[in-house]
Amino acid sequence: MFLRKTIIALTGLFLCIFLIVHLSANSILVLPEEMARGLYNSYSTTLRESPLIKIVAYVLYLSIVLHVIYALLIVLNNRKAKSKRYLLNRNRENSSWTSQNMGLLGIMILLFIVVHLANFWARIKLGLGENVALDANGHVDVYEVTYSLFRNIYYVVFYTILMIPLGLHLNHGLKSAFKTLGFYHKKGLRVLAKISLVYAAVMAVGFGLIPFIVFLK
Amino acid sequence: MKIVFKIWRQVNSKSQGGFETYEVDGLTEDMSFLEALDYLNERLVQRNEKVIAYEYDCREGICGQCGVFINGRAHGPHDNITTCQLHMRSFKDGETVVVEPWRAAAFPVIKDLVVDRSAFDRIIEQGGYISARTGTAAEANAILVGKEVVDRAMDAAACIGCGACVATCKNASAALFTAAKINHLNSLPQGKPEASNRVLEMTRQMELEGFGSCTFTGACEVECPEEIPMINIAEMNARRVKAKWLGK
Repeated sequence: MFLRKTIIALTGLFLCIFLIVHLSANSILVLPEEMARGLYNSYSTTLRESPLIKIVAYVLYLSIVLHVIYALLIVLNNRKAKSKRYLLNRNRENSSWTSQNMGLLGIMILLFIVVHLANFWARIKLGLGENVALDANGHVDVYEVTYSLFRNIYYVVFYTILMIPLGLHLNHGLKSAFKTLGFYHKKGLRVLAKISLVYAAVMAVGFGLIPFIVFLK
Repeated sequence: MKIVFKIWRQVNSKSQGGFETYEVDGLTEDMSFLEALDYLNERLVQRNEKVIAYEYDCREGICGQCGVFINGRAHGPHDNITTCQLHMRSFKDGETVVVEPWRAAAFPVIKDLVVDRSAFDRIIEQGGYISARTGTAAEANAILVGKEVVDRAMDAAACIGCGACVATCKNASAALFTAAKINHLNSLPQGKPEASNRVLEMTRQMELEGFGSCTFTGACEVECPEEIPMINIAEMNARRVKAKWLGK
């Protein structure tokens, strides 16, 4: 179990770092169109063509898969350890709802990832669905893919609402990962709790707001 | 005052068990929760019914025997106390109070509200002791230990093994108990000779007993009568990594 928890913590932390990069890139989308289109498309082309990023991408896929599989194994084992439940359990009084429902939040995020990959990754990388045009510089027009997707209000709402479970999951996950790995500095943990909260809020609000801005532009 | 008790009754570990409701009149606010159960049992004896089995010993909050789940909380509605330190004034007149045994696969119910906590003993057997001869008090005082280390060790040593951490944990994790026992001994010079084995063996036994993993909900430190903080679990994790990969 300790090994499993360590794998969940390490993959989780890697995914946390990935999200920072992802959000930074996404923020290009809110720039004025003439700047944003060229910048965003050349950025994504650079990423796709870099052999280093190719390795990072595989680490990323692997991280998501391992994070999910080991979380599932841990949950199954924990369920077995608590086979009988209480008739009345007031766990709201001793712990946060988030900490009690990381699995549920994780499933919601996984659902989001599946839709998100179908929207972008499947079209751009696998070439499924509608053909993606090239922009004036001959780059794949990922900018257009994004803007056409977020003309649909349902997608905007879906992308925004599912950033709530992401934020909650990150807030508990980031600080817990450090504790799982054995970080036990008292003041450090207090600072870490604040960092986790700020990080989670920035991620949730950042990712959640961009589809709206795109929709309104 | 009157209380409607809804209490888990179970004949033995193999039987099914279920809730029974008892309306008890004539309780006073000054009664401890255990005294209220005693009072109910006296009425049951008078009615020639089987008494409710529950555990207690010291009734002064230091033995850790009186673990029961009361109205959705380990040891009742207050933070960081034992059941014997809970008084009936914490409930409203006429209130329904649900009383359940600790729930964990590693703590099977023996009878009614009594569970088998010997899994804790087997964790202790794997290293919750020291082999060094400590000698007399004078000799022990000759070993210099810093105040901060002593305080941390003492805080962890305060664990009374009541099992509230396991009971309240959604994963029935024994991480807080095991961490307290490990950190108490591993932080002191007398505990150093077996430090590495202690953390590896005790955590191994913890898993063998069928306790779940810690997901840091923090419920344990709120219910622990000795207020042992959750940071102990992170410290145990660090000690485990060190013992496992560095061999110390």
